[in-house]
Amino acid sequence: MINNSLLKINYEKFSLPNGLEVILYPDPSSPIVSINIWYRVGSANEKPGKTGFAHLFEHMMFQGSQNVPKEGHFKYIQEAGGTLNGSTSIDRTNYYESVPANYLELLLWLESDRMGFLLPALTQDKLDNQKDVVMNERRQRYENQPYGQAWEILFSNLFTNDHPYSWPTIGWMDDIAKFELNDVRNFFSTYYAPNNASLVLGGNFDINTSVKLIGKYFGEIQRSNSIPSINSPGQKLKETNRIIHKDSVQLPRLYMAWHSDKAFGPDDAALDILADILSSTKNSRLQKNLLYDNQIALDVSSFQYSARLAGSFIIVSTAKPGVEIEKIKAEILKEIDFLISNGISDEELLRAKNSYKSAFIYSLQKLDTIVDHINHYNYFLNEPDSFIFDLNRYEKVTARDVINAAEKILNKPYTELNIIPKQKEQ
Amino acid sequence: MIKRETAPLPSALVPFEIPEIKLIKATGGLEVYYVQKEKLPIIQAIFISSAGSIYDPEGKNGLAFLTSLLIDEGAAEYDALQLNNELEKLGTITGISISHDAFTFSILSLKEHFERSFELISKIILEPRFEENDFNREKKKTLDKILQLKDEPSYIANSAFEKRIFAGTNYSNPEIGFEESVKSIANGEIKDFYRNEFLRSDLKIILTGNITGDEILNLINRYLSAWNFDNQLRRQKLFSPAVLPGLYIVDKKESAQSEIRVGNLIKNRNSEDYHAARLMNTILGGQFSSRINLNLREKRGYTYGAGSALNYNKESGYFEISTAVNIDNSADAVVEILNEMKLIRENITQAEIEFARSYLIKQFPSRFETYTQIARNISPLILHNLPIDYYHHYQSMIENVKEEEILKAAKEYVLPEKSVILITGDKEKIVRQLGSKLDMEPSELDIYGNPV
Repeated sequence: MINNSLLKINYEKFSLPNGLEVILYPDPSSPIVSINIWYRVGSANEKPGKTGFAHLFEHMMFQGSQNVPKEGHFKYIQEAGGTLNGSTSIDRTNYYESVPANYLELLLWLESDRMGFLLPALTQDKLDNQKDVVMNERRQRYENQPYGQAWEILFSNLFTNDHPYSWPTIGWMDDIAKFELNDVRNFFSTYYAPNNASLVLGGNFDINTSVKLIGKYFGEIQRSNSIPSINSPGQKLKETNRIIHKDSVQLPRLYMAWHSDKAFGPDDAALDILADILSSTKNSRLQKNLLYDNQIALDVSSFQYSARLAGSFIIVSTAKPGVEIEKIKAEILKEIDFLISNGISDEELLRAKNSYKSAFIYSLQKLDTIVDHINHYNYFLNEPDSFIFDLNRYEKVTARDVINAAEKILNKPYTELNIIPKQKEQ
Repeated sequence: MIKRETAPLPSALVPFEIPEIKLIKATGGLEVYYVQKEKLPIIQAIFISSAGSIYDPEGKNGLAFLTSLLIDEGAAEYDALQLNNELEKLGTITGISISHDAFTFSILSLKEHFERSFELISKIILEPRFEENDFNREKKKTLDKILQLKDEPSYIANSAFEKRIFAGTNYSNPEIGFEESVKSIANGEIKDFYRNEFLRSDLKIILTGNITGDEILNLINRYLSAWNFDNQLRRQKLFSPAVLPGLYIVDKKESAQSEIRVGNLIKNRNSEDYHAARLMNTILGGQFSSRINLNLREKRGYTYGAGSALNYNKESGYFEISTAVNIDNSADAVVEILNEMKLIRENITQAEIEFARSYLIKQFPSRFETYTQIARNISPLILHNLPIDYYHHYQSMIENVKEEEILKAAKEYVLPEKSVILITGDKEKIVRQLGSKLDMEPSELDIYGNPV
C-alpha cells in the first residue's frame, strides 16, 4: 500500500515586512527551480461594465517593466532554458516559471520588477496591441468554437448580475474593446502588491541564499493601502430556468447547473465523489445509461466546480442525432432520483476514492504542479502542507455523505441551457 | 533601492544526468525500452504497434481507428463494462490511440496495481472480443463524431491541409475516416484488421518507473508470451506524396476568425540536417519569442498566437505554419507569413542563433521530468529508427551545428513557392481582401480538402 508520507510537504513559510508571503519547498533531487506567484485577484474583483481586467493583466505582465524591455520577459526565461506562463481564474491570477536551478536570481529579478515597477513601462501602444490579442483570444477560444460560449451563458444565468461569478474570466467583448489606460493603471496599483500575493519557490536551491535574495528583490516593493473586499450576494434559484441558444453546431447539447458548495466546504468532497460516480468512467451511472444501455447521448460529464465564494454542480451531455434533449434530461433526473433513493455501492465508492488517491500521487511528478498546489492550499486553507489533509477529505467520505449531498443540492431548482444547431446539417 | 538595470547572471550549473534508456529482449523477441526511476511508486507503460491508419484499405478509411475503439470493449472473460470496471477500480489511467503510423496503448499506474494493469492490457491485446453490439455502438459513435467535426474550424483546416500536402497517400486521409468509408465497415473487417495487421505488426513496449528489467521480463512471460513474432509482416509502405501547392479556401460562413495553414514537405526525421532545421524553426516559429509570433501577435495583434513546426510521420515529414486570425486580417496575415518565409531564407542573425541554441540546450533536462515525458521521449526513437543513446548526444549535436548549416536548412525546409496555403473561414470576406494583396488565384475546397 502507498504510504501517505509521500504526500508530506516540508516547507518554510515567512512574510516580508511589506506583506509578501513566501513559502520555500526545497527538493535537491531536481535540476530546476520553479517559482509560482499567486495574486489574490481574479475576475471576481471586477465590476459589471469593466470586466476582463484581471485576465488582461495576465497579458500586460509579459509586456515588460521598468528594467525589462517589451518581449524581454519571455526571452530571458527561454534563453535560460525555462518555461513560463500565467493563468486567470475567478478568484486569483498566477504566474509561474521553471528554469535550470542556476538561474534562480534571474527569476526573482523578473518577477520583482513586474510586481514593483510595471507602471513606468506601461504605454497606450502596449495596451492597444494586447487588447487586439485578447479580442483574438476570445474569438479563438470561445466565439469561433462550437459550444464555445456555453459557459458564459450558463453562469450569467445561474448567478444574478450583481454576483462576481456571473461574468466570464476573459471579460465581455464590449468591455474588452473599452479598456482604458487609466483604469488599467488603477487596477494594477490596487491589486498587484506584495501584501496581496504569495510566492512559492520549489526545487534545487539553498534556503539561506534564497531567503536573502527574495528579501533583496521583493523587500523594497511598496504595499497597497486598501484592497477592496468583494461583495458576494447570496444565491438561490426560485425556480428552474431554461435558456435556448443557437450556435454553429451539428448536435444539441444540454447543460444543467445547480448552486452547490464552495471550495473546501462541508459537502465539497462528497460532491466531487458524486460527480465521479455519475459520469467519470464507462461504468458510471450516467455513461452506462446514456452511452451504453439507451445510446441516446454522445457524451456526458459532470463535476463539482467549486471556488472561494460559491460553487456549482454541473452536468453536460450531447444528444445523438435525432434525440431530443428532453429525453436525455429525463434519464439524468431519473438516475439522480434513483441514486438518492437507493444509494451507492461500496465498489462505486472505492473506485472513486482510488482514482483520487492515484491522482494525488501522479501529481507529484512535476515540480511546477507541486508549487502551484502549495499556493492553492495556502490560499484556501492557510496551510501549504495540505496534500494529506486534502486526500483525507476524500478518504473520509461515506456512501451516506454522497447521498445526503446529492439530495441537498440536486433536488433544488437549476439553470438549464440548450445549445441547438443554427441550421440543419449541410 | 537596489540596482535593477541589468539581469543577474547565472550561478554555477547544477549537473543533470539524462536518464539511461535500456533495451531488453523477452523470449520470443519482444523488445522493451525502459528507464528505471525510483522516486515515486509510479509506472508509465506504452505499448506501441505499427498498425496505424496508413494500413486502412482503400474506401475503408477509419478501419484502424474503429479497431482501436473496439479493442478494449470486452476481452477474454470480461464484457465491455466488466473489463473497464477492472481497470477503473485500480485507479489506473489507460489510453488507446491511433495515429497514421502507430496503434498505441498507454497505462499510468501505481506500482502496487501495475501487475494487474499489465495483465488486463495483455488480455486486451491478445483476446479482444469484438462483439456485434459493441461494434454497432462504437461505429455509430464514430459517425456522430465525424458529424461534429464539421464545425471544428481547426480540425477542418488541418485535414484539408493534409489532403493537399500528402495527396495520393494515406497520410492525406484522417485517422477517424469519412462518413461514407466508416458506414461501409463491417465487424468482420475489424476482426480481419486485427488478425492481419495488428497481430502481425511490429510491437514494442516502453516502460518508465520503479521496476527492474527482470520484473519486466517476468510480466511478459506470464501475460504476453502468446504474442507471436514469427507472424510478423515487416512490410515496406512506399510513399511518394504528390504535394499540390497553391492557395486554397475552405468556406466557413460567419466565422469569427480564419484558420490559416501554410507549409511544405520536408526530409525525414532521421536526416542529418535535422538539428540545423530544428534551430532554424526555433527562430522562425518554434516558440513564443519567434519571428512569426512576435510579428503576428506582439507587433500586429492579428492573433492570440502563431507558430511553425517540423512534423514527422514515419515516411514523410512536413513543415507547417499555423495560426487563427481575426477574419478582417486574413490576407494581411498570409502576406506576413509568406514574407517571413522569404526572410528566413535570406538572413539569420548571430544573436538569433545564440538564443535558439541556448533555448534548446538548456531546456533539455526539463523534458525528462515526469514518468510520462520520459516514456514519450522514447517513442520517436522507435518510430524514426534513432539510436538508443540519441538523447545523450542531443545537446552536443545542437551545440555543433554551424551557422551556415542553419541558413542552408532554411533554404531546404521553408519553400514558399512550393507551399500549400490554406485558409478556412468566411469565403466572401476573405476573397474581398485577397485581390490587392496576393498575386494568386484561390481555389475553393470542401471541408475534406477536395475541390468544390
